[in-house]
Amino acid sequence: MKQEVEKVEPKKDEYFQIEKPYTLSQAIVEADRCLLCYDPLCSQGCPAEVEPGRFIKKLRLRNLKGAFKVIKEKNILGGICGLVCPVDKLCEEKCLASGIDRVINIGKLQRFLVEYGWDIGFNPINKEKDKNVDVAVIGSGPAGLTCAAELAKKGYNVTIFEKNEKLGGILRYGIPPFKLNDDFLDREIEDVLNLGVKVKTNYEFKDKGSIENLLKDSFKAIFVSAGLTNAYRLKIPGSDSKDVLTYQDFLWQINSDKVDEIANKIKNKNVAIIGGGSVAMDVATTCKLLNANNVYCISLESMEDLPADKADLHKAIDHYVIIKPQSQIKEITTKDGKVIGVKGNEVKLLKKGDFSPSNIKDIPNSEFSFNVDFVIFAIGSGVDPKIKELLPSVAFDDKGYIKVDKESLETSVKGIFAGGEIVSGPSLAVNAVRDGKRGAKSIINYLNK
Amino acid sequence: MKDLSITVCGVKFPNPFLLSSSVVSNTAEMVARAFDAGFGGVSFKGIGGPSAEIINPAPRMHSYNLGSKKLVGLQNVEQTTDRPLEDNIQDVKWLKKHYPNNPVMVNIMGFNKEEWKYLAQVFEDAGADMLELNFSCPHMSVEGSGMKVGQAFKLVGDFTDIVKRNVKIPVFAKLTSNVTDITEPAMYAKEAGADGITAVNTVRAITNIDINNFVPCPNIFGKGALSGYSGPGIKPIALKCIVELAKKEELGLPLAGCGGIETWVDAVEFLLGGASLVQMTTSIVKYGHRLAEDLVEGLSFYMEDKGFNKVEDIVGKALPNFYETKDFDLSRQGAAQFDLDRCIGCGVCYIACQDAGGQCIEWDSKKRRPIPDEEKCYSCMICSFVCPIDNPPLITFKEIKGKKIYTPPPSKL
Ligand SMILES: Cc1cc2nc3c(=O)[nH]c(=O)nc-3n(C[C@H](O)[C@H](O)[C@H](O)COP(=O)(O)OP(=O)(O)OC[C@H]3O[C@@H](n4cnc5c(N)ncnc54)[C@H](O)[C@@H]3O)c2cc1C
Ligand SMILES: Cc1cc2nc3c(=O)[nH]c(=O)nc-3n(C[C@H](O)[C@H](O)[C@H](O)COP(=O)(O)O)c2cc1C
Ligand code: SF4
Ligand code: SF4
Ligand code: SF4
Repeated sequence: MKQEVEKVEPKKDEYFQIEKPYTLSQAIVEADRCLLCYDPLCSQGCPAEVEPGRFIKKLRLRNLKGAFKVIKEKNILGGICGLVCPVDKLCEEKCLASGIDRVINIGKLQRFLVEYGWDIGFNPINKEKDKNVDVAVIGSGPAGLTCAAELAKKGYNVTIFEKNEKLGGILRYGIPPFKLNDDFLDREIEDVLNLGVKVKTNYEFKDKGSIENLLKDSFKAIFVSAGLTNAYRLKIPGSDSKDVLTYQDFLWQINSDKVDEIANKIKNKNVAIIGGGSVAMDVATTCKLLNANNVYCISLESMEDLPADKADLHKAIDHYVIIKPQSQIKEITTKDGKVIGVKGNEVKLLKKGDFSPSNIKDIPNSEFSFNVDFVIFAIGSGVDPKIKELLPSVAFDDKGYIKVDKESLETSVKGIFAGGEIVSGPSLAVNAVRDGKRGAKSIINYLNK
Repeated sequence: MKDLSITVCGVKFPNPFLLSSSVVSNTAEMVARAFDAGFGGVSFKGIGGPSAEIINPAPRMHSYNLGSKKLVGLQNVEQTTDRPLEDNIQDVKWLKKHYPNNPVMVNIMGFNKEEWKYLAQVFEDAGADMLELNFSCPHMSVEGSGMKVGQAFKLVGDFTDIVKRNVKIPVFAKLTSNVTDITEPAMYAKEAGADGITAVNTVRAITNIDINNFVPCPNIFGKGALSGYSGPGIKPIALKCIVELAKKEELGLPLAGCGGIETWVDAVEFLLGGASLVQMTTSIVKYGHRLAEDLVEGLSFYMEDKGFNKVEDIVGKALPNFYETKDFDLSRQGAAQFDLDRCIGCGVCYIACQDAGGQCIEWDSKKRRPIPDEEKCYSCMICSFVCPIDNPPLITFKEIKGKKIYTPPPSKL
């Protein structure tokens, strides 16, 4: 009998839903709690210089368009940041309303205002007259998108070169859809494209020096924001099995139309995630939402020192993820090439944050083993080694990141600027936005010299 | 950004937003900062005649709170300024020199006929663009001044007349709402030559009495007084006064609205009701000058949205929609409509309808849902006021064609 091949449609919505937004009345109630501080600390806490103290005041005074305008002018990706920023370490960290009862939910207000602006179809951004000067942006993560938007606002002719099929970088292919979904991302990217930014997707720089050589073309300056695309794996027995993935492999599939396939694979299965940062927590929560059975997060750090953002950690715990801190995996056990478990033992770090072998002490008689069917590494990522070939004259630092002047983000080559994670290492979307703004400003200075 | 300028009695204001005469307009330095922040003009703090020395009581104000909301109203016992006349003259000159494009109205209060004339003349000489005659402060300690004048209509006419005979600049009379019909004193002012009316000053009231020591607030060393109440709480009264004045055809004078204005929405309502300028104090007490950017931006966006090109075009736009209640079409009736798919089952609509409404909602206690009866509903709509589900509201009013009016039958025990 001939089997019908069923076309697998993505079912993301069934598994993932982003948080419900505020309604207008809820937003006003929240804004009413704001103390409207003088020289507000919330505004100081935002790397992108969105001024929460100001937009909340505007909301309070029923100037919703003005509030939307402030956000969008300062951060073209303000809606996304409202959704994904770890606000407890940024704008909300020092919010003085905590002295009354609890901090103001700034991220959620910011997101509300952006969606409100979209709903009423208000375009708050003015674009200057065309300057007829070409600038290239490499990579379309938050750093690249922001830099492109800032330049386009000032009338520059910007082209984004992106090797993936779609724009967004980690925003699209990394951050899981329960935090940020495609609809929201596409809507905000539309704001960038509406400024007249051109894009070349599925674009591959092949030849040595081909990014640098854009300067010999019509391009007068380049902003390199290619991110980190080389996810690390531990070299331990079993780690080359096909059931061992990196977080990039895994999340890429989650964020593509392969989500159903992977959901079927891990349904009712056990998964071990190696890592204790936000990425590990996001991967763990994702597995749980896809109906995996036991999900472990195994990390070297103590519970106290887990690098994950608190909200991400609590989300994982709320979904019954088992956190196994102060633990080291020594072996991935396999049978017939399939993963069947992980083995390890508990450890003590002599010095916090130092993961060199001499600093990690095994705790005697603490061996453990879990039966798992998949292992996912979430232990960080580095610069794609190919980038060096595409930028042979540009200097890199000893960690493998592009070397730049901290203020101007200029690289060792005149006319080439860089920002985002390719410069900073693993960081936050809003820091990439800050770099995009800074890079654009420096490029404009450079071009006007 | 739209052009928000408006010309009133030949004086051009960059926008219709003014500091009203009070604590917020007490010195040129603070007024200058308000102009920098975006205010269009000022009514400078009330200046009394030199015959009475004014010392202001301490403390002079009190905040009226509503639940967790602070300052929904402000009570004050401040009188005219305690600064020397000469300092105020210098301040007005300084403002006119440094801010030639921001009109300065000077709010004056003579304590006798001679003083009205004198004050009017010195401030015209100092460069004031307009005068505002204070017939309305509800708590003056000097006999026969402030609100007492505003309530003795003939005096309104007499003092306006003195001033008008002695100056060329436009003169506004600032009136009190503490009268039966504000258009009466307004007509006296008009007949004496006033060029415009400001309405209103603070409303005579008392916001709180301390229940432990029985002293009204603010407590001035064991004593309190019926005195001026301002802020959002008086907005409906102030707006009523503006509408009454604007509807009075024989009056036909430009109006400055004042009382409880906080946001651009409030300001637009005053414009729609017939005011050409709006003034404010309590909202500045609450938010500071940074309020201005949102008034300006808000009004500008509003004008873009509605296609208004000039502020003048908004002025009085709502007046044709004001009728007497006898003019309503009573043959058209309706009922509350419930979008119960979104109901969360809190039951407050049921309580409201039973205890304060048409008693037409029943309660399904199993499903935790209201069961409305459209026939008996008398569309008071209080259920919708208490329902927590908004945006869009779960409970809405709808006309029902041919609906009979229902009244509850005699009660049976
Ligand atoms: C799982 C996960 C969850 C995260 N969650 C959060 C969060 O909740 N909040 C938060 O603030 N941050 C979060 N982050 C971090 C955040 O996403 C990054 O800091 C941010 O995206 C970095 O931006 P970027 O522009 O530097 O690089 P990227 O977003 O990595 O974008 C780089 C782009 O460059 C393209 N590119 C690379 N090489 C080339 C080439 N040779 N030619 C053309 N294009 C190229 C890539 O395809 C990619 O599109 C998370 C990261 C991950 C992995
Ligand atoms: C402390 C205080 C002092 C005031 N002083 C004066 C004054 O000197 N002259 C005057 O005409 N009105 C005076 N007012 C009234 C205000 O100008 C204004 O008419 C009133 O406060 C209503 O407006 P608001 O609700 O915006 O505050 C004063 C109000 C306050 C609160
Ligand atoms: S710090 Fe908090 S309370 Fe103060 S202005 Fe900012 S959000 Fe409001
Ligand atoms: S605001 Fe406070 S500090 Fe300032 S004058 Fe008034 S009472 Fe004094
Ligand atoms: S008040 Fe609103 S939400 Fe509550 S029961 Fe009534 S209709 Fe439902």
